[in-house]
Amino acid sequence: MRRIGPFLVEKDLVVPAGRLLAVSSAALLMAFFAAGLVFWAYGTSPVLAYRTIFVETLLSPSGFAEGVRRAIPLLLAGVGLVLAFRGQFWNIGAEGQLLLGAVAAAGVALFAPVPAALKLPAMFLAGFAAGGLWAAVPALLKLRLGVNDVLTTLMLNYVAVYLVEWLIHGPWRGRTAFGFAYTDRFPEAAMLPLIPGTYVHWPTLALALLLAGAAWFVLARTAWGYPVRVTGDNPEAARYAHMPVFWVVFGVALASGGLAGLAGVGEVAGVHGRLLGAYQISLGYGYTAIIVAWLARGNPLGAVLTALFMGLVFASGDVMKVALQMPFRVTDVFNGLILFFLISTERLLYYRVRWAPERKER
Amino acid sequence: MEDWIWTTLVRALAFGTPILLAGLGEIYAERSGVVNLGVEGMMAVGALAAFAAAQSSGSPYLGLAAAVLVGALIALPFAVASITLRANQYVAGLALTMLGLGLSGLLGKPYEGAPLAHPLPESGFVVAALVLAVVLWFFLRHTFTGLVLRSAGENPETVDAMGINVYAVRYGAVVFGGAMAGLAGAFLSLAYRPSWADGITSGLGWIAVALAIFAAWHPLKAVGAALLFGALYHLSYRLQAVVSPEFLKAMPYLFVVLVLSLSALRRGPSGAPEALGTPYVRGERR
Amino acid sequence: MRKGFWVTLVVLLGALGFAQGDKLKACWIYVGPVGDYGWSHAHDQGRIAAEKALPWLETQYVESVPEAQAEAYIDRLVKQGCEVIFATSFGYMDSVLAAARKHPDVIFAHATGFKRAPNVATYMADFYQLYYLNGLMAGALTKTGKVGYVGAFPIPELKRHISAFALGVRTVNPDAEVLVRWIYEWYNPAAAKEATEALIAEGADVFAFTEDTPTVIQVAAKKGLPSFSHYSPMKRFAPDQVVSGQLVHWEKIYIDFLAKVYAGVYTNKNLQDVDYWWLLPQGAVELGGAYGEPVNPKFAGALKAKKLNHPVFGEISVYDLVMKELALMSDVELAADPFQGPIKDRQGKLRVPAGLRLTKHELETMEWAAPGVKGPWPNEPK
Repeated sequence: MRRIGPFLVEKDLVVPAGRLLAVSSAALLMAFFAAGLVFWAYGTSPVLAYRTIFVETLLSPSGFAEGVRRAIPLLLAGVGLVLAFRGQFWNIGAEGQLLLGAVAAAGVALFAPVPAALKLPAMFLAGFAAGGLWAAVPALLKLRLGVNDVLTTLMLNYVAVYLVEWLIHGPWRGRTAFGFAYTDRFPEAAMLPLIPGTYVHWPTLALALLLAGAAWFVLARTAWGYPVRVTGDNPEAARYAHMPVFWVVFGVALASGGLAGLAGVGEVAGVHGRLLGAYQISLGYGYTAIIVAWLARGNPLGAVLTALFMGLVFASGDVMKVALQMPFRVTDVFNGLILFFLISTERLLYYRVRWAPERKER
Repeated sequence: MEDWIWTTLVRALAFGTPILLAGLGEIYAERSGVVNLGVEGMMAVGALAAFAAAQSSGSPYLGLAAAVLVGALIALPFAVASITLRANQYVAGLALTMLGLGLSGLLGKPYEGAPLAHPLPESGFVVAALVLAVVLWFFLRHTFTGLVLRSAGENPETVDAMGINVYAVRYGAVVFGGAMAGLAGAFLSLAYRPSWADGITSGLGWIAVALAIFAAWHPLKAVGAALLFGALYHLSYRLQAVVSPEFLKAMPYLFVVLVLSLSALRRGPSGAPEALGTPYVRGERR
Repeated sequence: MRKGFWVTLVVLLGALGFAQGDKLKACWIYVGPVGDYGWSHAHDQGRIAAEKALPWLETQYVESVPEAQAEAYIDRLVKQGCEVIFATSFGYMDSVLAAARKHPDVIFAHATGFKRAPNVATYMADFYQLYYLNGLMAGALTKTGKVGYVGAFPIPELKRHISAFALGVRTVNPDAEVLVRWIYEWYNPAAAKEATEALIAEGADVFAFTEDTPTVIQVAAKKGLPSFSHYSPMKRFAPDQVVSGQLVHWEKIYIDFLAKVYAGVYTNKNLQDVDYWWLLPQGAVELGGAYGEPVNPKFAGALKAKKLNHPVFGEISVYDLVMKELALMSDVELAADPFQGPIKDRQGKLRVPAGLRLTKHELETMEWAAPGVKGPWPNEPK
């Protein structure tokens, strides 16, 4: 407990929603301010920049739809990461798991002898499995050998990138692609429908919302969710209570990998229609999903809001490129600043400020 | 055959130099207990600072100084966040990477497309990197400050008990890591490919992070690791007709996973500093 | 009175014409950053030149547009009032066609593409003639008999360039080889550097490339080895080692196309057969590593000293041969062509019969390699 003038500041580990919102908003405001400084250094008026962004993404239907479209993989991967972080599995590998999902989807779309009506479901299932598998390896290494999961998941991201590159340059190179690095276009049956007038591939969106709700339900209300929450909050207690820590961690790892894989399926089946260069598919979604999960502070439903928010940030990067002629790197600056301020203000969440002016002793 | 080996060695040294430089810095940071995943970002701003300073002043040495300074400076916010504010180090590092790449790409626009008037020779950097590796190893192993640094990463309580400020030690190590990453960036824009272009770091920062782990946080082993990674990259072009280049390029990352697993199997002192990744809080039991 | 009437009428019509299309807005999307000093940079230079030359033209551009995002960006540009959109990468093909269907009033032009629509034209300024001429010089300058080529992707465009290059090299030096290495990216300085080093290690001593940076030139220059510039005037990166190269003048195409759009000759309904395949005769491409300098004077001596017995021209120096062929290839009737038959590919199969040349379609879909090309050649036909 500390006194700063008329305020009493004390440690409070229970974080009420109001404080959460206040601190997060403060962090975002600081990030926007800092970004404004960068704009000014570059030569663009921050006021003009933010006004354009606001108009083009929030007030324009097509701009908003673009934000929603970007939010879809962020939501899927983000929900997965919320689960992973809750279960103490530090999955930095969503980028790679997303790519594996894309690879599996492409494989099914182009080569698997599956009847047309079952193509899309098969692609989603395969994508989930592939992504889950990619996360299972680091999970097993962590559980059985104690190997740091941050590092292994990170390294596997790069292996995934080279796997994709190898496929598109080699065995899966498209016959109609004239030697460029793509596979052939997927057949119609393997393409996701879009909301007319937009680029939003709604089945993936629906799936994402459904799974976010399911994840929340499982965590908060079922017998499976309880061990996850306890492991996340207090691993010692979980072990003491003989909770199946192995299955908890393994389970959340598979789930988060699988969800990221689904995001990959959505990207190739709903946006690109073929397997292309790794960096064209993932566009940093896997890393941004970490921000999404972080902002959601452990609540899968919160991820819906935070994914939409980050999707709009992505879309605003496009706006800045076109309307303000800023280089594409501006999105990275934004993302970096937001993430930076969010984690820096993390500790403020655990302090409560009370108004308690000192009374003069008589 | 000797010619083959010699060329591969030379190219491996050249390609390995920036990852060795940045990797040595990362080894120091991690030895003190802080994981800095922001190497790629620090390298990028270092490269830009070096080029900008060298191009506008005409002196590449000024560029070197600028790179080291800027690298150290940009590591500071990361240090504040992860050491003082005790934020999650891994995520803070990612943020630093995004920021570094973004800022360098954005602010580097005016410098694109022009060759550097007075580039530096690659060999200078190569020699410097090798010398630094030896010096840093000696410092870590045989000096008191080196011991303090290592203890900050293994057992910060003892350092505290000695009356030394753990935070200061970690700050120093992280800032040093930033300076080294900046130097690595300077190599790229002043010697390797004397010019500035967005993306000049092309993932080398991440390989440097992998290197620090693969080398078991040992500066001398890092030299061998850098040579290995450099050789693989060069060979991926040399052997293009025979071996899939993607396979060779993925090798460094697979190696890291392998090394981590093997050392965990042996269960012996894997070399990973005990307190790596955990923020230090005075008075709190870990 | 009569005269006054006609004058007024002409002035009125003229004013009407002006008011009808007083400003035309054209927009460009680039696949890379304009600072790359390669492909995207060259297109942007074309845009700038067009804007200077055409007073009624208003332009805008977006750089580094990932191929998968092209459609969304095009939508934005259309919203910003773009009436003509230039898509400068092969990978934009599907997006351009889809966007063209969505915005039938907008005119599109797709560089390096081959699919058209009523409102989609295609255009290309190709280098294969220049590469042949470069090859003549490379063949004369190589001392080891090995010429290096760093290529981006094994696509027909590069394959025909490399083959033309090899045909040129072998004309002067029948035993020489062209060693090829692929880096699978348009833009990757580190990869280009290591690929060049690998080629140097294999013995190559003259270099040409397709990669959007001057890296290959710089690497070769460090060892004092000559090279050929690509796309932008890269001679300034190594003034003593860049022999020649390929330069482009996209503005020739842009000005022609935009003027025709402005005058109503090209509309959003009649572009189905509009396909620019512009070469030396139209001035869309230029030989050299710097504007106005087909051959670096530092190398003129060496090229003049090297002589060969040419089947058509007899005893001639390489320098004169290059100049002669340059003049012939710049002739509107294309008096000479690198792919003049008979030509066999590197496996011995006849690809161009005697007396014939490759058609534009054959050039666009070329997968075979000319003799002398050594190295991986994905998709090589049997």
